[in-house]
Amino acid sequence: MHEAPMRNAPTFSVVAHPHKKVDGEGLMLGRPAYTDDLVPSNALHVKLVRSPHAFARIKSIDATEALKLPGVACVLTWKDCPRIPITRAGQGNPEPSPHDRFILDEYVRYVGDEAAVVAAEDEATAEKAASLLKIEYEVLEPILDFEHAKDNPIIIHPEEGIHEMFPIGFEPKRNIAAAYHMEVGDVEQELAASPVRVDTVVYTQAQNHVAMEPHAAFSYLDVQGRLTIVTSTQNPWHTRRLLGLALQMPLRSIRIVKPRVGGGFGAKQHIHVEPYVALVTLKTGRPARIALTRREVFESTFTRHQMRVNIRLGADPDGTLRAIDMQVLSNTGAYGEHALTTFMVAGSKTLPLYNKVKAVRFGGDVVYTNKVSAGAFRGYGAIQGLTGLESAIDELAHKLGVSPVELRRKNMIHEGETSEVFRIMGEGTEGVAMNIESCKLEECIRRGKELIGWNDERLVWEVAPGRVHALGMAIAMQGSGIPMIDMGSARIELQDGGFFKLHVGATDIGTGSDTILAQIAAEELGVDMEDIIIHSSDTDHTPFDVGAYASSTTYVSGSAVLKAAASMRRKLIDTVAMLWNVSPEDVIYEDKAFRTVDGSRHLTLHDFSYDTLYHNGVRMQTIEVTESFSGEKSPPPYLAGFVEIELDKETGKVDVVKYVGVADVGTPINPNLAKIQIEGGLLQGIGMALYEDVRYSDKGHLLSHNLMTYAIPSREDVGSIVVELVDSYEPSGPCGAKSAGEIGIDTPPAAIANAIRNATGVRLTHLPFTPDKVLAAIKAAEGAA
Amino acid sequence: MEIKEYVRPSSLEEAYQLMRTRHATPLGGCVWLRMNAKPVALGVDLASLDLDYIRDTGDMIEIGAMTTYRSLETSNLLAKQYGKLFPEALSHIVGVQLRATISVGGTVAGRYGFSDLNTTLSALGAKVVLYPGTITDLATFIAEGAESPFLVEKILLPKGVRGAYQQIRITRNDFPILNVAVAWTGSAWRVAVGSRPAATRLCHAAMQMLGSDPCPSDQTIEAASMQAAEETSVGSDIRASHDYRKAVLPVLIRRALLEVRG
Amino acid sequence: MIVTITINGKKESLQIEPGDMLVDTLRNAGHVEVKKGCDTGNCGVCTVLLDGKPIRSCSFLAVRAEGHEITTIQGVAEEARRFADFLNREGADQCGFCAPGFALTVIAMKRELKNPTEEEIRHYLAGNLCRCTGYESQHRAIRNYLEADHA
Repeated sequence: MHEAPMRNAPTFSVVAHPHKKVDGEGLMLGRPAYTDDLVPSNALHVKLVRSPHAFARIKSIDATEALKLPGVACVLTWKDCPRIPITRAGQGNPEPSPHDRFILDEYVRYVGDEAAVVAAEDEATAEKAASLLKIEYEVLEPILDFEHAKDNPIIIHPEEGIHEMFPIGFEPKRNIAAAYHMEVGDVEQELAASPVRVDTVVYTQAQNHVAMEPHAAFSYLDVQGRLTIVTSTQNPWHTRRLLGLALQMPLRSIRIVKPRVGGGFGAKQHIHVEPYVALVTLKTGRPARIALTRREVFESTFTRHQMRVNIRLGADPDGTLRAIDMQVLSNTGAYGEHALTTFMVAGSKTLPLYNKVKAVRFGGDVVYTNKVSAGAFRGYGAIQGLTGLESAIDELAHKLGVSPVELRRKNMIHEGETSEVFRIMGEGTEGVAMNIESCKLEECIRRGKELIGWNDERLVWEVAPGRVHALGMAIAMQGSGIPMIDMGSARIELQDGGFFKLHVGATDIGTGSDTILAQIAAEELGVDMEDIIIHSSDTDHTPFDVGAYASSTTYVSGSAVLKAAASMRRKLIDTVAMLWNVSPEDVIYEDKAFRTVDGSRHLTLHDFSYDTLYHNGVRMQTIEVTESFSGEKSPPPYLAGFVEIELDKETGKVDVVKYVGVADVGTPINPNLAKIQIEGGLLQGIGMALYEDVRYSDKGHLLSHNLMTYAIPSREDVGSIVVELVDSYEPSGPCGAKSAGEIGIDTPPAAIANAIRNATGVRLTHLPFTPDKVLAAIKAAEGAA
Repeated sequence: MEIKEYVRPSSLEEAYQLMRTRHATPLGGCVWLRMNAKPVALGVDLASLDLDYIRDTGDMIEIGAMTTYRSLETSNLLAKQYGKLFPEALSHIVGVQLRATISVGGTVAGRYGFSDLNTTLSALGAKVVLYPGTITDLATFIAEGAESPFLVEKILLPKGVRGAYQQIRITRNDFPILNVAVAWTGSAWRVAVGSRPAATRLCHAAMQMLGSDPCPSDQTIEAASMQAAEETSVGSDIRASHDYRKAVLPVLIRRALLEVRG
Repeated sequence: MIVTITINGKKESLQIEPGDMLVDTLRNAGHVEVKKGCDTGNCGVCTVLLDGKPIRSCSFLAVRAEGHEITTIQGVAEEARRFADFLNREGADQCGFCAPGFALTVIAMKRELKNPTEEEIRHYLAGNLCRCTGYESQHRAIRNYLEADHA
């Protein structure tokens, strides 16, 4: 009944086809492509000396011994750095993150925090010098438990000068990095009037991104004396802007180059390594290189924000949802990068799913602790909020004795509808009202049920004594870029030979965005994929783009490419019309050639490209266009996730037998690549649900600091992952596309929690659901029974 | 990793003398060695001592110290003797590439808490030949160590033993939370528990309880499993708590015993 | 010290320290197709073949490669291209950082196992982690790649 006809869905010849990734073969053959493959041979090697204490003040740093070592170029401490508060978060300008950090500071606020920089002729010498540095610390008592951070007598950021860029609820003296509250209707009154209520809590853990390429960067001064930084980043322009502030340099003096990037997931949406190589290059005039070890990636880059999500739901006995109250406590660790925005997304990209409630409330605090800082991570708050919300919805279904699927169908958002939450909650600011023009959640659920073999009467069955299989499900939404904030641009230039250069600021971090952006351009320009040579991204050479995050590249940067290609098409026709002295309406461009309507003139694109650059005398010109796009809305992609688990009741081990994800991403520009975004997201979500945990000692030392102690899913852990994309067309998107980057990760924790609940009758509240926790919950329930 | 001086001797005696006179560090598979922050003053590479072999000497199976996990896992000789025991115990360890370099001798000498191999070998009733010249029960060696310096030369396995291996891991190729191996030697039962998270121990009282009956009853198996849990000390680490290990230990032992009994 | 290692069929004499791991020796000698991902032997991106068998170059002393043949992905470029084609067609080549080590292991597996089952394939390749794909597409590509030989 909600099936709207496909609007403006044309047939495509390049888009919606599974074209090969343009860089695939070269990367497999190992051609030098990633940052650390490209380092100049005379570069200094930079090592960071890191705090062994969770909280301490540096009393003194004695570099005498280190500097005596032959080959040591410099040792830099907080005294060598501009005292400028910054944020490391790559976000819009001004950033919603507080400026609460210095490149190096007198205080260190977690084990792994940067205390000093050492540079030497080779890596071994740099390491040796780092070990010879004598740092005297005044050790302070840390705060490790985020539930006791607010208004704790220990203050993690007592320093003066740090500030918010606009009101985000920043109260460092109370250990609060950000806070927010909103309410539509009267939640308490609706809850009180609701005959059926549930009250649940879920704790979601910190998680590591584990992009396979560890963070790396190198810097050098170019022939004009400008600072060039080649770095594995997701956002070159934010990096340049943040570095300009941090180093007090004009942005014109800095160039950021992004080569191939070996995975991001949000991990590289920050300036973790760039300031340090820049400092060394500026100090010594020499090229400088840094490549983090995996341990450093764990200890000193970012994690997902740990959260406590309290949900209260009120409903009528017929399953009509009346009120949702979501209260969140988020742990941002030592610094407040993405503190407010991840926290707000926990509400803004989950609550609209159930848009028919009479009252909805969201609020809470983001607090500082002396742990590794949290930052951007695929799912970005939505996965945390959704784990809480979708667990609560299942609890409500149990309480009502109805099908969890039908309860969702009854209350969820549909095409043509809206939610007040869209208008109220944005990314740190007010949101943007929007109507949902594409939502095939009904179809996702229908197909998902089919693929998993859903049967409300049989959600758990025994396969062997003590061994059961059970089903669970959850639904999710995300966004497609940040409306009115994210901006991308594309430049297209015709080259002699009749092919096009496509320059984008959009940042391919391994997702295949270069490929899909080239597809969009080829589609609109009526040429083959081979005729588009794409380059991304370089602040000197490609046009602006905020970068690869917030599920924005396909929708925002893709729209910019589409606009540029349409503009190029018009410009080609206009130029040819002018040369032929006819009206543009009389020129037809088709099959890489121009002709007049009456057929009297004909010119191939190939020949035209030579004419305009070599043969047309004073009318010679470069045919070039640049276009930009910023979204007025952020159409959500949707996904219905269904899981079949096997649970060993004697050991508490949970295995995913099959995970089905059916998604509405609009038109998949490249069905293969879109599908793999979902498949990879699902597995990363399963990792969060079952395996991955950031663990500390009681002194605040990270115990999970390498891949021996922090295990990510291998190819043997999950039975099968089945992903399908439903037919959908988003009118506001490029060629009908929305986004696919994040939506995949959102459902597994809730769906698996719901399956465990169906298997055992127990609601697990602390992620990840390791055998220990599952067995303890089963035994506790048996004991209570 | 820093190795200040490196020697690759061609005889055990030479290697042993370097350890005795110059406190040299033997270099086996070198998979865990590099986790050490401390530099190695003198590394003695055992790679050229012809210690990479699995052979049938008639009444036992000999495994050289430099034999890799991958060799154990793919050995037809071991498969013929012990069925799938070695692949089941070892093939969850990280990946084929690492198993191609992890050595038997290094594992035994290191007496690592997380070892799957030491649990398996202990259950089978293996002996370890230490250079120069001692033959020790491997389980005893794991529990007590030996006076330095020594070199693990080879492992001796009795024939005609049937074993089974059980483990619980968070992911399939993570370190185990707990591993268990049991074996019927033809005259007695052996039960070994490793990754407690400390090193492998035999469960003597449980072994006693199982007696010399190749087909103990379900009740006996259950009782022995509970006994094993009772007598084995376990601890907590990042993977699981003490209580969890206590709870799941008898389950794994029961499953392993049932597998061997049939 | 100087070691002589045959790398992709060519003898190279390289200056090393006895504690150097092979991955660093190879990368310093310009073989940047061998990636560094985890330093603990877990991820598999540093995989190379030692006399035809896959090993972790991050967990292998360079000095031990003396006199042996080391093969990187560049040493099996033709076969790698063939496999890349199957992987590309599935879109299973994402960030590509794990690709050289992964492809080398697939090629070694193909030589070692005859008609492997799905389970055997997953088991053989378990030590090659990938954070992008969720593995499914890689397995679709591997099946097609192996089947193409039988066709």
